[in-house]
Formats: sequence, C-alpha cells, structure tokens
Amino acid sequence: MAKAGKAALTVVSQSFVNLGRAQQKALGSPDLPMAIVPHPFGTRSREELKLIAAKCADDIAKLLCEAAPQTAAATAAPVVPRAKLIEAPADLDELNKFFIKRRWGDGMIVAPPTLEALARMLRHTRRLPDEVVATIAPGMGAATVEYIAIQGVMAGCYPEYLPVLIAAAEAVAEKKFHLQAIQATTNPAAVWLIINGPAAKWLEVNSGAGCLGPGTWANATLGRALRLILQNIGGALPGEMDKATQGQSAKYSMCCAENEAANPWQPLHVERGFAADASTVTVVGALGTWNMNMTARNADEVLAMLADTMQYPASSDYITGGAPFVILSPQHAALFHAAGLSKADVKQRLWAQSRIRAGRSKGSEFERMATGRRAELGEITPDTMVPISEKPDDISIIVAGGPGSHSVFVPVSAHTRSSTKAIVWSKGAAQGNFVSI
Amino acid sequence: MAATLQVYDPIAPCLTQPQKTRHSLDKLAGKTIGFIDNAKPNFNHLVQELSRELTVRHGVKAVVTRRKRSASQGVPEAALAELVTQTDAVVAGSGD
Repeated sequence: MAKAGKAALTVVSQSFVNLGRAQQKALGSPDLPMAIVPHPFGTRSREELKLIAAKCADDIAKLLCEAAPQTAAATAAPVVPRAKLIEAPADLDELNKFFIKRRWGDGMIVAPPTLEALARMLRHTRRLPDEVVATIAPGMGAATVEYIAIQGVMAGCYPEYLPVLIAAAEAVAEKKFHLQAIQATTNPAAVWLIINGPAAKWLEVNSGAGCLGPGTWANATLGRALRLILQNIGGALPGEMDKATQGQSAKYSMCCAENEAANPWQPLHVERGFAADASTVTVVGALGTWNMNMTARNADEVLAMLADTMQYPASSDYITGGAPFVILSPQHAALFHAAGLSKADVKQRLWAQSRIRAGRSKGSEFERMATGRRAELGEITPDTMVPISEKPDDISIIVAGGPGSHSVFVPVSAHTRSSTKAIVWSKGAAQGNFVSI
Repeated sequence: MAATLQVYDPIAPCLTQPQKTRHSLDKLAGKTIGFIDNAKPNFNHLVQELSRELTVRHGVKAVVTRRKRSASQGVPEAALAELVTQTDAVVAGSGD
C-alpha cells in the first residue's frame, strides 16, 4: 500500500512490535509508522476497546500527518556477501557458549563451521557458493549455497546431504508454502521434511520403525539443519520473530522418508508428478503428531476412527480450509488396500467422515471459521457441517513407520500448502557422491 | 590466551534495500481512511471504535473497511485495488 504511494500505518499489539519492526526492515519499509495497542486486545471487553481506540485514534492522527523522516533509499543493487570467518574459542564447550550467547544455534551442541568442514560440504554441489537459492522469510535472509551449507555443518549433516538442504530451502520459499506465516505464527509450526525416491535409501533416511525419531543420523541432522536455516537465515528466533506460544519439540528436527516399499499405492512424489526414480523433498508446516492406535481389522472401522480423531474444534484446518497429512502405518495401508480402497478413496472417505459441526467452535473461533470458510461454503450456521479441507485431495497421505497398529494425524498451519522439490544431482552420481546441479 | 579457531558467522544477510515508503497527509479532516481488518478476534470491533473516534473527533469524512479471510492470508488483490482508489490512507492490523 505504502509502495503504491499511499499513506499507511500499522496498528500493532505490544508483543508483536519487535516482529513488526523486523518485518518492515526485511521488506524494505523501515520508515512505516506503527500505532501500538496493549496486548492482547483479542480478549478485551468492548468498554476496554473503546478506551484503547480513543488513545490509538490520536496516535493514528498524529502519525499519519507528521512529516516523514528522511530515509536513505538505496541506489545500487545489493551485492551478495560471502560468509565471514571469525575467531572463536577452539574448545568445543567454549565454542558452543560463544554460539549460544549470540543465539546462533538451536540450544543443542553444534559442530564448528570451519573452512575445512564447509569446503567438504561444498564439494557436493556445482552451484557457486554465493548463488542465492532462496530468500527465507520472515527476515528475508539470503539463502546462498554457502550459508545453507554452514547450517548443515553446524547440524552435523554429512557433506553429501547438501543437495537435500538446497532442495529444502527452495521448497520452503515456494509461495504456496506460506513460510512467513509458519515462521511468525503463535502456533507451534514445525517444518517437517519428507524424503522420497532413491536418495532416501542412499542417504539412509529412516522410513521404517521410529522414523520420526530418535536414533537416525540423517533424519536428525537434516531436520535440524533446516531448523538452523529457518533461524539463522530466516531470522526466526524464538520469542522474537518466531512468535510460537510454546513451540514444540519437532521444531528441533522433524524428518523422515516415505516407506515406499510398504506403500501399496503411488508414493507422494509420484502422486505429485515426479518420476518414480526421482528424489524429492517435501516440506510440511506441521502443528503436531497425533498418534492413532487402531487395532481394528476392518477398514471401515479404522477409517471411522481416523476421521473422528482428525476432528477438533480448535483446528486451523477447519477454520481456514486446511491441507493436513495422514501418516498411515504399513499395517493400515495394507488393510485399506486389501479392502479395495485406492489412496483417493481413502482421502474421499476421510474428508466426508471428518466433517465437523461448526457449532463446536465457540465465540470468536466460530466467527473466524465463518469468515474463513464463507467464500467456499456460504453463510455458516452452528449446524453447518464443515469439512477439514476444501476438497478431498487437499488431504495428503504417506505411508511410513514399521510394524504396529499406529497411524498419525498431522494437522498443519493455516493456509500452508506442502511443497515438493526435486533433489538434483549430477548425472552419473552414485551413492555417497551426490552433487547438486 | 585460550586457543582459537576460525569459524563462519552463520547469520545470513537480508539483501532487501530500504525504500522511502512513508507518505504523510496534510490533515486528517475530510479524508477517507481505509482499514484492513485482519480477522483476528476483536480487531473488527477495534476498527469500529477507531472509525467512530476518527470520524467524531478528527473529522474523517469516511471509512472503508475490507476484511481478510484470516490473519495469515494476504489481502485479496481486488480489495487492495479498492483501497488504493477509494482512500487517502490505509491502516492495517498486526498481533493478537
């Protein structure tokens, strides 16, 4: 709006001022004024709002009419800088204290990103170190190949993981993924990495028992490296631009491969148009994992329980029309397949059976749902049956895990759509010699 | 002195260049103000109260409000176009 030459201003609640300032700077508008209101205003009474509005209206009048301060507008195109070497303690404990003090880590011990370690990782790409792969919201940091590799080193990734991290950076930056919201939301939004294709096997990404952790180097370090990309490149420091009220442990790392061998249908990447022998990374804005232990041996019964579990009124999916994931155990996938159900059939059944009565959402949450789904469903009354997503195919299904009667529901952050990118390496590259092109 | 080693600073820079985006009004009286209601709880009520205050006490001529489907979504292009053409200044909301 301001870039269109219009006077503009933001009304911000106190707890979001730092995020707002950082966002304005990242978007090239550091001079835009803010009128600050108490936090939270969402729980205030109408009488309290009147008092807040009286003060805020005066601030708006003043800020819109006062002369704009002189801002030095940039005249030259920015130069992509190379990462800088700095002196740090050689002792590992002291080095980690040095990093923690600067908030350069995730709270766990990091490996030192030395010249030698970075060089080993960069051997697995033919892209130039200063090539900008993506811009990472909300801080709009430049995810160059070099900066991505640095996060990989710190997370403990083996050098050959670099092409996966490059693809993951591309995936989170895709517009439909809506990284801005995932990074800055008060929801506990973790970014879950799903690896498909031969790379999963070659890199030994666990798709079987315990695939969501703990215990597998690739799963642990790949997910962790992405967290460091989001934090050190995207600027989403917890409590600052990352506004998660509690967060969740999956924000340290959440990564697995799809168990394609146990999948009776097409795997996720093939369903999304990639060749079966292509390798891909899919990113999902996951709000959590809900275990569903279902020993029933009848497909209809398992489907009914699964659909019932997906329903909860405080769900972003129902309020905005979501794109949730279901991780089927090999046992449940086999049960559905044996019952003659395709993956599309399962999605259709889950979509139809997980509709929720709108009246289960109360007060302002009902209003949010009515606003968020009106364009799709028309006027919503308490008796309207609201589907979890706009259409059945918005529900994604993968097969993962080992033996057991457990499938998992993964609700997602509002308005995010998972994004899948190819992991690209040079022709002829063999196991352990991935080179990103 | 304790031994040191060289490591990379892992914080990537933002390459966005600052622009001059702030524009001012000469006065508020007689102007049309646009509000982008971010659909957060109570923000619609805050907009109502602000509209009343700005109209009664600051002489604003009219208020145009457009509501987003939800806080985490952008404003629809059509609504943005309306606000650009119909208003003198626009107020957006952020936070809870």
